[in-house]
Amino acid sequence: MAAPSSSSSSSPVLSLWKAYHQNTSDRLKFIDSFLIFLMISGIIQFVYCVLVTNFPFNAFLAGFSSTVGQFVLTASLRSQVNPENKGVFKDVSPERAFSDFVLGSIVLHFFVFNFLG
Amino acid sequence: MLSLYTFILLIFGLAVVLDAKSSSGNSVLVILDPARRPDYSIFFDGLQEKGYDLTFRAPKDETPVLIQDDIPSFAHVVFFESDTKHFAKDITPQTLVELLSGKTNLLIALSQKQNLLTSFAPEFSLILPPPGSSLLSYFPERKENNSVVPIEVPSSSNIISAGTAPVWFSGVPFVLGNNPLIFPILNAPAESFAADAEGITPDALADAAEKGGEGLWAGSQLAVAAGFQTLGNARVAWLGGVELFSNEFAKKEISKGVKSGNQQAAADIAAWTFQESLVLRIDSTTHHLVNTSVPKEHYTINDVVEYIAQISRFNPNKGKWEPYSGINDLQLEFTMLDPHIRTALPPVPGSPGKYAVTLRVPDRHGVFKFVINHKRKGWTYLQSSTTVPVVPPRHDGYPRFLSAAWPYYAGAISTSLGFFVFSALYLAGDARETNLRKAKGAKAQ
Repeated sequence: MAAPSSSSSSSPVLSLWKAYHQNTSDRLKFIDSFLIFLMISGIIQFVYCVLVTNFPFNAFLAGFSSTVGQFVLTASLRSQVNPENKGVFKDVSPERAFSDFVLGSIVLHFFVFNFLG
Repeated sequence: MLSLYTFILLIFGLAVVLDAKSSSGNSVLVILDPARRPDYSIFFDGLQEKGYDLTFRAPKDETPVLIQDDIPSFAHVVFFESDTKHFAKDITPQTLVELLSGKTNLLIALSQKQNLLTSFAPEFSLILPPPGSSLLSYFPERKENNSVVPIEVPSSSNIISAGTAPVWFSGVPFVLGNNPLIFPILNAPAESFAADAEGITPDALADAAEKGGEGLWAGSQLAVAAGFQTLGNARVAWLGGVELFSNEFAKKEISKGVKSGNQQAAADIAAWTFQESLVLRIDSTTHHLVNTSVPKEHYTINDVVEYIAQISRFNPNKGKWEPYSGINDLQLEFTMLDPHIRTALPPVPGSPGKYAVTLRVPDRHGVFKFVINHKRKGWTYLQSSTTVPVVPPRHDGYPRFLSAAWPYYAGAISTSLGFFVFSALYLAGDARETNLRKAKGAKAQ
């Protein structure tokens, strides 16, 4: 949905930010903040791997893929609980989406901690 | 019963002491015309005194055969009858080679005449001069025939004992080819040359010398006695002439009042040929991780391993093997196709016969071998190969919880914690919204 154009907003970025602020529900904003946390964590690990050491490599893979995997699962949750996408996910109730998210995350963390060694 | 046992042991021990001259057996076959046997009696008596068991066979006799049922009948064969043209049918170059494969040692004297040895010698990288030639020398001036040449014993020789007087020689010199297994025992004097004793004239010699020695077999590169040790450690001594071993030369004075060294040289050459001197063996080899003592079935990459070899030398005087620490250039290789490690294997001071080295297994897994391959001229070749697999660490053999990995651990743990906090807050928000909706619904009603 397009942000309502306002004569006072001089920059498109600013207007985008404003529209996001006004038109996004608190729940989705909460999910977005978790996504940003995961992204930052992943970037830090990647930079550490490139600049400092990739040894032990399995630990890097586990740590990095846990953030990436969690990001993907959380992003799926966000698109499924977004009321705007109700038409696309007719059969998926928000409760069902959340339980999928939890199950997927538990499996992911199981593998991550196995691999972290 | 006990006394019988000790008695048997005693007999056995005595037998060992009596037999004890060669490390590989006492039976010797001498191929020689019986009529000429007395000419070499000093040499043969010397052998018999040492405890050798001599059997004589005329060159045309059919028995005793050299090889019976594919097994050599004698430990050593002395081939002195080289003037003969035809031999019994089992004496052929092929049987002589077979004898060597069967670890029989050969002492062979060449002659000027052509016979089976003329074709056999080149197989050992011996290059013989044209038939009929013999070693001649006009120096030093002496009353003997020019073909009877005195030869200084090299002081560096480890086969002929040091301090042996010069020896008389008469016979054929030869050139040694580039086979690494052959080496000279006695070289011809520098001023000697090989020529037909009758055919050579001073003019011909001068001509040859003007051409830079071309076509002239001369100088100290010629050998008159050479040793050859096969890869199976059988030994062959090649002599330019059998007279070196004769009573006549043994008694002949080299200078006024000084006896020649022939008797000593003959005994020493025979001692080398019959595996008495310069005989080594590897008694045992073992390997283990440092600070343990049991050999491991396989090693892990980067393990630190100690390798130990125990080496003995045969002592012909006592007839016993004794630990020997005198090898200073022994090397150990740790190979997988190529030597990944080649290192010195030094003797351990204080423990005779023990050679040890500590090495770190390379960072490479595969089937490796500890290899000792020690070949020195005159000495028994030492060869040993022990196969050990080198494996990568087991899945639980790697180091864990490294400090370098803490950012990754922290990342994974924070993601999990974040997931729990997120789920809790999400559910809490869910409940609040439901409550809100209910409250709204109630208000609306």
